[in-house]
Amino acid sequence: MSNVTVASPPVPATIPAPSPVGAGHNPSSLISMREIWKTYQMGSEQVHALHGVSFDIPKGEYIAIIGPSGSGKSTLMNLIGCLDTPSKGEYWLNAKNVSEMDDDELARIRNQEVGFVFQTFNLLARATALHNVELPLIYGGVGSSQRHEMAKAALTAVDLADRMTHRPNELSGGQRQRVAIARALVNHPSILLADEPTGALDSHTSMEIMDLFERLHGEGNTIIVVTHEPDIAARAHRVISIRDGLIEKDEKIR
Amino acid sequence: MTPDEALQEVLDRSPEKSRGESGEEPARELEALAFSQQTAPPTKRGRFFLFRVTALWEGFLVAFGSLRTNKLRTALTLMGIVVGVSAVISVVTIIKGLDQTVAQTFSSQGSTVFTISKQPRVITSREDFIKFTKRKDVTREDAEVIFRTCTSCYQAGVSASRPEIVKHLDQKSDNVTIRGIAPTTMFDIDAVTIDAGRTWNENEGESAREICVVGADISENLFQGAAPDRIVGQQIQVAGRPFLIIGVLQPLGKIFGFSRDNLVYVPYSTYQKVFGGRGSVVVFVKTRSAAQLEETEDQVRTIMRTRRGKSFSDPDDGFALETQDVFLDLYGKATSNIYLVTIGVAAISLVVGGIVVMNIMLVSVTERTKEIGIRKAVGARQKDILTQFLIEAITVTALGGAIGVLTGFGLAYVLALAMGFPLLISAASAALGVGVSSVVGVVSGLWPAWRAAKLDPIEALRSE
Repeated sequence: MSNVTVASPPVPATIPAPSPVGAGHNPSSLISMREIWKTYQMGSEQVHALHGVSFDIPKGEYIAIIGPSGSGKSTLMNLIGCLDTPSKGEYWLNAKNVSEMDDDELARIRNQEVGFVFQTFNLLARATALHNVELPLIYGGVGSSQRHEMAKAALTAVDLADRMTHRPNELSGGQRQRVAIARALVNHPSILLADEPTGALDSHTSMEIMDLFERLHGEGNTIIVVTHEPDIAARAHRVISIRDGLIEKDEKIR
Repeated sequence: MTPDEALQEVLDRSPEKSRGESGEEPARELEALAFSQQTAPPTKRGRFFLFRVTALWEGFLVAFGSLRTNKLRTALTLMGIVVGVSAVISVVTIIKGLDQTVAQTFSSQGSTVFTISKQPRVITSREDFIKFTKRKDVTREDAEVIFRTCTSCYQAGVSASRPEIVKHLDQKSDNVTIRGIAPTTMFDIDAVTIDAGRTWNENEGESAREICVVGADISENLFQGAAPDRIVGQQIQVAGRPFLIIGVLQPLGKIFGFSRDNLVYVPYSTYQKVFGGRGSVVVFVKTRSAAQLEETEDQVRTIMRTRRGKSFSDPDDGFALETQDVFLDLYGKATSNIYLVTIGVAAISLVVGGIVVMNIMLVSVTERTKEIGIRKAVGARQKDILTQFLIEAITVTALGGAIGVLTGFGLAYVLALAMGFPLLISAASAALGVGVSSVVGVVSGLWPAWRAAKLDPIEALRSE
């Protein structure tokens, strides 16, 4: 445990100083990670993807997680997005201890608290834009009329009000990503978690999407962008750099 | 959620909260909650625990969408189920129709008639056949003695039958049953009625004249379907001899596809004259009521055993006394065997069909791994995925069952038309067909659906 490095974000006073394992989370943070380890069993060998990572993210922040491939940033993203649970450590999301939840509870958290935006959009190919956006509401048990309304509002928010009945193959890359963003936002999640959101887009469309993120941040959304592109990361207000499963740098840039 | 409910929720959650952070003040928890309430729409948490009709409906939509997209695959998947269900449905429907026909046919002669003959109508072994052949012929004298001495007999008569070629001018009909009867009460016992013309009187009957009463098929086959009253007085050739038609019978219809109207009644004396006096006759005895049948049978059996010189200890009567029940028993045995075979065929094809469905569902799960990942990422629980794929499997098999039911009824309809029995469509067997195939869907869909539900969302999202 001696080699555990915890970067201290030089930001708000409410974020506590790096604390040892077992110390309480910061309840005023939206995300509070404490000594997060993720270990995979590869044959007889144990591979540590994360070596005790701790950080806090307050509500309303626009954060970029940056790092080369194999740095553990995908693992970290999966943990933040509640697609996976840590091998060790505590993860508090919106005052709920996610680290010890079972599959169904995680599904519920993903449904209510997390909005995913993926590099490859991950839309249902046979469903219309509207239906894609409704999907989280379907699994949230929202009745159809309210669902339509909410999905339409979300699509309107990303300027796709005129593309609701189009299927993904009838939309451009940028439009598809905006559908995905509408899907991520429709359930009013605590965090918008984007994994290389511009990785499959040309530079012009990339800028449009990043402008949209900026606008959404301005509207009070908490945004976490995972990327390996420095100019995408530069749009965020805080950058966490991951290397070899550790936080290398955690700086506020804006 | 009202502020009071929110506070209550904090209190409810306190055991969870106390884990690992004992120094926590409730005020901070409240603060955290307050800001989570800002982000979350007010009704969000409550509705999560409701039964998710929305997710079930999504399952149906996905199932139908996937079946529509893969039409050929769906059709091939359905095949086993369709074959199994349609086999059962058609056989059940056909046998029901036959049951009704058989019941009506045999009740037309009624349960008041029994016969005495040399051999039973159904012989099941060669040994029996040899034994029966060695028996004494049943003769007209036997019939007369029975009728004279039996007190509870109402009507009695004899008949002998053989197939013959019947001609009229250049028209010819093979395999017409020539039925020699005496006396004319046999018409009543056979439950046939005259449509045109008349039967013969006893004098004509005993004087061996070449006269006949014909079934409806004779006018159809030899007189181009002429009206019954037009063929009375015409002549037909039976075994090369001219016979005068004096009457035509009302049609009886078909049973098992065989016409019961393709026959010519002639007086027994004429029958003997034309076809020879030898050969056994069948004695028909009719009682006044069904209640008297058993008593009458006993009387007749005693009379006949006495005439055959049988002692009490001899198990063999030396003749066969039968009611129509013999037919019904045989029919029952035959149909129960048909039922068994059909159920076997259906079971096998349903099992095979189930395996096909399971295989296709596994393929479908593999193909849609990415989709499963997406659904899980946006909050589908394991049971949501499980039910989605179960619904898909059940939809396939229930559809197969429904098509099978329709095909089965269609098949039965064609056969019913061809063989001339009523089509009895039963809603219960339709429901059973669809029900059983739905169960097949559950059984064969469970494992693929479970595999889909257990997929790791990260792996699933990564797949292409």
